[in-house]
Amino acid sequence: MTTSPFAVRMLGITKRFPGVVALDDVTLEVRAGEIHAICGENGAGKSTLMKILSGVYQPDAGVLEVDGRDTRFTGTRDAERAGIAIIHQELALVEDLPVAANVFLGRERRGALGLLDDRSMAQECAALFSQLDCAVDPGDRTGNLRVGDQQLVEIAKALSLDASIVVMDEPTSALTEAESARLERTIQRLVAQGTTILYISHKMDEVFRLADRITVLRDGRHVKTVDTTATTPREITGWMVGRDIAGHDLHGSRPRGEKLLEVRGLSLPWPEHPRGYRLKEISFDLHAGEIVGIAGLMGAGRTELLEVLFGAGEDTWSGTIELRGEPVRFRHPREACAARVAMVTEDRKRLGLFPDLDVAGNVSLCSLHEALRLGFVSRAAEEQLAAGPVREMGVKTPGLHAAITGLSGGNQQKCIIGRWLLTEPEVLLLDDPTRGIDVGAKAELYSLIDGLCRQGLGVILTSSELPELLRLADRILVLAEGRLTAEFSRAEATEARIMEAATAG
Amino acid sequence: MTPPNAPRSAPPAEVATAAPAGGAAPRLRRSTRFGLRPAEWALVAAIVVAVLLTGLVDSNHSYFRLPWQSLTDILRNTALLGIFALGATVVIIAGGIDLSSGSMIALSGTIAATTMLALAPKEIMAFKAVGPVVVGVGVLAALVTGFLVGTLHTWLITAVRLPPFIATLATLVGLRSFARALCESCTHAVVGTKSAQINVSDPIFKAIRDNVWIPVAVFALLALFTWLLLTRTVLGRHIHALGGNEQAARLAGIRTENVKWFAYCFGAMTAALAGLFYVANESVAAPVNQGRGHELNAIAAAVVGGCSLSGGVGTVPGTVLGAIFLRVVIDAVSKIIKTGADVYEGLIVGVVVVIAVTFSQLGALAKGGTRLLPGALGLCAIPTLALLAGAIAAMTAGRDAGIATGIGALFLLGLLRVWESRRSAT
Repeated sequence: MTTSPFAVRMLGITKRFPGVVALDDVTLEVRAGEIHAICGENGAGKSTLMKILSGVYQPDAGVLEVDGRDTRFTGTRDAERAGIAIIHQELALVEDLPVAANVFLGRERRGALGLLDDRSMAQECAALFSQLDCAVDPGDRTGNLRVGDQQLVEIAKALSLDASIVVMDEPTSALTEAESARLERTIQRLVAQGTTILYISHKMDEVFRLADRITVLRDGRHVKTVDTTATTPREITGWMVGRDIAGHDLHGSRPRGEKLLEVRGLSLPWPEHPRGYRLKEISFDLHAGEIVGIAGLMGAGRTELLEVLFGAGEDTWSGTIELRGEPVRFRHPREACAARVAMVTEDRKRLGLFPDLDVAGNVSLCSLHEALRLGFVSRAAEEQLAAGPVREMGVKTPGLHAAITGLSGGNQQKCIIGRWLLTEPEVLLLDDPTRGIDVGAKAELYSLIDGLCRQGLGVILTSSELPELLRLADRILVLAEGRLTAEFSRAEATEARIMEAATAG
Repeated sequence: MTPPNAPRSAPPAEVATAAPAGGAAPRLRRSTRFGLRPAEWALVAAIVVAVLLTGLVDSNHSYFRLPWQSLTDILRNTALLGIFALGATVVIIAGGIDLSSGSMIALSGTIAATTMLALAPKEIMAFKAVGPVVVGVGVLAALVTGFLVGTLHTWLITAVRLPPFIATLATLVGLRSFARALCESCTHAVVGTKSAQINVSDPIFKAIRDNVWIPVAVFALLALFTWLLLTRTVLGRHIHALGGNEQAARLAGIRTENVKWFAYCFGAMTAALAGLFYVANESVAAPVNQGRGHELNAIAAAVVGGCSLSGGVGTVPGTVLGAIFLRVVIDAVSKIIKTGADVYEGLIVGVVVVIAVTFSQLGALAKGGTRLLPGALGLCAIPTLALLAGAIAAMTAGRDAGIATGIGALFLLGLLRVWESRRSAT
């Protein structure tokens, strides 16, 4: 099939953007039929490199060879024709169209009279899905599918293009463990059929399970390409950040204080769903100086639980919540704030950031009333207010009035945590706070959360990554389909036991 | 509730040292000069250029011969537009849209007039003074109506969950009709004959008509108030936050429905205030035509002034300048073509909006990121634009000028197209 042992060779690729060199003399050689992982922190140049491979950008210098032939792409169509398909981290699907229409979007089949031939498209789509061993109905509205199934739609799209090289940009960042496992099987099937896979991921366990070889990028430069068998996750993360990350656990030694929160028999109905409830009979306690981790697959009710505690949910719930011994029933986040409960939401961009406000505005938002002088917001007082957390948490920003959107994910998250710390909370709810944040920033956030806890805050932490919970939490609660299926002390908890409880019916 | 050991956001030392770089957070210079952003200075320049050009091109040179009268005209019109453009600005920054302000103007005038008619029917019908108390009650009734309409909008949007566009589209159509029906049934009940308008000749209204500084002062005070509100109050920050990211605003503990309530009431009440000045200006409350279509002028002024219709972005100085610019250009055209200028008002507003927004994107176009005339669409756009320019010139300046303008536009756009193609080829 291929004349060259390499499916793709990118030699000496350099790409400059105004003010930055995104890629500096990067070389990437991908053997035909292998799974090649690309690792690097956010901003290391992974996405830029992949955008050059898929024709979105043109390199300023360097050579691109596909199947041993010198190639120059002037657009994404050229790359598609050369058999390269890319599945972006943010899925590019039209949610209101049926699945089959998305698979053939832009390349619609037409029948007699030039009208759309929906039947042949649906048939071929169904064939593609059976090839992927999954049961998605081509006629379903795409927006109704779960994220994992939507990703399969993208993969089906790539297959329908007869792509011989498939690039996946952090495909599992929004998937449950079960969906990730299915994706891994799909990838292995594709490789068995002769497809070459380029796999971008932060998650070391996945990379080490899947990849034949790993390339590490840092600050736009190529650091190393190694066989997976010849290295360790620790070594890879070390190359990614350019220093050794201390991986020591941060739980256990914190003094546990008085009881802050007592939840008893909490249930949240879900009328339009066959299960009937989002949460059922949840009971647990939270003490000052303690981090309670909540594990669970996507859809298990982690976010719903935190939303009830924060008064952010729309539906009425039953059961009791006591805060410092007093029963509370928040109907709006405002009331939770007043009672010193704070929540850092998942999905920073959608639920946390205000893109039109600057760094200071984003940090001071919840405590702006403290910057009032004679009833008006004083700029100086607001800056002073925001400067505190910005300085103490080491937010890397060009200034207090810089655009928040220009900051890296980790620094944005620090700003949002800072916003809530200014409200002087006693209970801090963190919903998957390190999602989409690179390794170095994660470590900083871990020690930040640990430090807050040592000052007497009670923290409830959810995460889609088990190692994170195991590293930080004193106790771990496991949710499965809205029910509390297990509670482990740190000593009892292992990944295997948590997974077992999380998948319990 | 407050515990003795409430932490005050001071993470321990090891956290602070974990990220040493950039912690000092130096103050970044704001991108304003004497309080205005670059785009706003461009508007100032555009206003000056438009005024100077009009003074030169206008064959009567009325800007030089009768500067005071010209200034009065422009100021009055700007104030009348600006008052409810400020309301539109607040609604737009809050992430909404209010299409109903033109109808609100009509309703406000009608409410004031019918209230006065009910309290003093003889004086109204005899074109006599009704006295300050009756006028005061009428004005108050109009403003309260503004509050009620704003409340209705907020209820439709937050409780019924209509999109703002639909909710205010309904009141755009409905309120004008309601105002007319109200006018007719009130005149019928009080006087015995139906009338679709009520004359208002009280000296207070006449004084407002004859003293241009009154609407101008009201506009200036309202602008100052709105500016303080948006830049210096917690509510103003919450308005920006709501428009920028509504879900995040709610999750940050902001009562978003209350902020919306304020925004839509402010929008409707400024329109109600403007409606009173419309009545004073024309000495009549005429619900059929008063303020018809003017909601779009207000939105245009806000957009020309830099508001983003997706919310979260906009300034009071921008809207004030946008309103001045719109009125200056409309006045310029009426000075230059002398008669029938009101026919072209909509056309002018449309063209100004397109040019102003295109202007703000010139930077991207110049850098070569995008093309103004791409592909087949660009080819078809060239004769479309040339025809439009030619037709406008022919109607306003005669046939020959029309033909010359059309051919000139065709030639210039063709050149632009060739230049763009050359550039993207290299």
